Amino acid sequence: MERKIAIVGQAQVNSGDVGMPRERLLFELVKGLFDQLGINRHDIDNYLICSNDFTTGRTISNVFEDSPIGAYLKDETKAEVDGVLATTYAMIRIMSGLYDTSLVVSNCLGASECRPYLVMDYQLNPTYDRQLGILNELSTAALQARCYMDTFGMTEGQLDETAARLLDNAARNPDSLPSNSAVTPGDVAASEYLYEPLRQLHCYPFTDGACALVLASEEKAKELTDTPVWIKGVGDSVETNYLGERDLARSRSTKLAGERAYGMAGITDPAGQIDVAEVTAKFASQEPIITEALGLFPEGSGGDVADKGLANTDGDMPVCPSGGALGAYAFAASGLVRLAECFKQLTGTAGDTQVEGARTALAHGQDGFCAQHNAVMVLSREEV
Amino acid sequence: MAFEMGEETRQVPGTWDISTYRYKIEGRGLNLLTEAMKEGKIRGVRCHECGTVYVPGPTFCRKCFIDIDEVVEVKDTGEVVSYAVEMSNMRGEPLDEKRITAMIKLDGSDTWIVGTITDIDWEDVEVGMKVKSVWVDEPAGKLNDIDHFEPL
Repeated sequence: MERKIAIVGQAQVNSGDVGMPRERLLFELVKGLFDQLGINRHDIDNYLICSNDFTTGRTISNVFEDSPIGAYLKDETKAEVDGVLATTYAMIRIMSGLYDTSLVVSNCLGASECRPYLVMDYQLNPTYDRQLGILNELSTAALQARCYMDTFGMTEGQLDETAARLLDNAARNPDSLPSNSAVTPGDVAASEYLYEPLRQLHCYPFTDGACALVLASEEKAKELTDTPVWIKGVGDSVETNYLGERDLARSRSTKLAGERAYGMAGITDPAGQIDVAEVTAKFASQEPIITEALGLFPEGSGGDVADKGLANTDGDMPVCPSGGALGAYAFAASGLVRLAECFKQLTGTAGDTQVEGARTALAHGQDGFCAQHNAVMVLSREEV
Repeated sequence: MAFEMGEETRQVPGTWDISTYRYKIEGRGLNLLTEAMKEGKIRGVRCHECGTVYVPGPTFCRKCFIDIDEVVEVKDTGEVVSYAVEMSNMRGEPLDEKRITAMIKLDGSDTWIVGTITDIDWEDVEVGMKVKSVWVDEPAGKLNDIDHFEPL
């Protein structure tokens, strides 16, 4: 890349009910991050907000969020969809040479203010899919889960193992939902079916959450921190909104997004070169689909990965040591949280979820039914 | 960071009833299907470049990015590509009668449509099983003219 860009700091909060208005939440989050970096709002050249009008319950959601993040009378832009994409825009702005620092902020009060499942109904194509009245976030996720499990022979027990691993990880992550506790595959199997084959504990929890990252140019990054995390590659790809035209057992758009990011980052052997991956799997069944598309595991190996613990924090290819989206999922903020978790891993600040010696990480964000739009970012502690 | 504002925060219920919409439908797209359904038939559009048969048919091929208008008829029988079982409604209340939601690839189509399957216990449904459409008595050119699917 022409100009090196680094992430220099992160802050996040995930809660079952954050107990304060969005504006106050964002203010405390961003102020805390500024204090941590020893900067103030005038040190930020441009601001990016990633939030969703429907979950916010008002259009042009960012206009209410500018001041609480310090953007009063500043250069501010909204980039909806997902935090990884918003971070990509922030990166591009710094690469342009016009800016040296960017703040990216994302939030959703999906536990206390709205129900994301219902909001997703309005993402359905209104003239066909929505008219039928049978597609919604849960039914589409369940159909996708069945596609993968049937195509590759993954059992419900193996899906339970996958979910239990993630929830176990989440229980060790203080930035995940405080209500998370260690569970066994048996606990997952004992949770209610929401939409067979998906049970309650296979699905993301309703979350009030917010996340903020500061990005900086090479020169500025080295002023702000001793441990900058360099952005080495980015890629995104989107497929059709019509589920009937997609192979739901695989994710072509994730594959293409990954290939673009790998090409830029010089990754030729993803499983060998990436030390830790943080992916946005809103349902346990999406994890194998996404990680396989990213080349981290062979196609169709989801059952095997679960049985052998290959994705464990101390396994061959650690995936979501943070607990991922099963530990906390704030709509639109999830990709940003994945980046924040990678930042923690690469700066050795991940505490009980730390992957030993992690130097290169992958963050993935998504939006849409059955992960229609996917974005990937490769991060590294290595400057060159 | 201190998040200790809980007691001072109140919540006010509200809805977001901003408007009703009048969505436009392309004549050659969904209308093609609903017009065919009046006759108890299912029609889609084939891309002359890559051969993909879309049901319902779009007016352009997403892959080749060209206009397409070759109308083709497909059968009202097909194969289950995937299915899922609705156990409770979106408010979490259990359903007395479980609803089987399925993705069905109609014979002759390259895409799948969504429908419900009845006349079978949900535990007996399988991916790959053949199903047939059950039409309403008097099709009116509506998407629910196919009332549901049954095992063939």
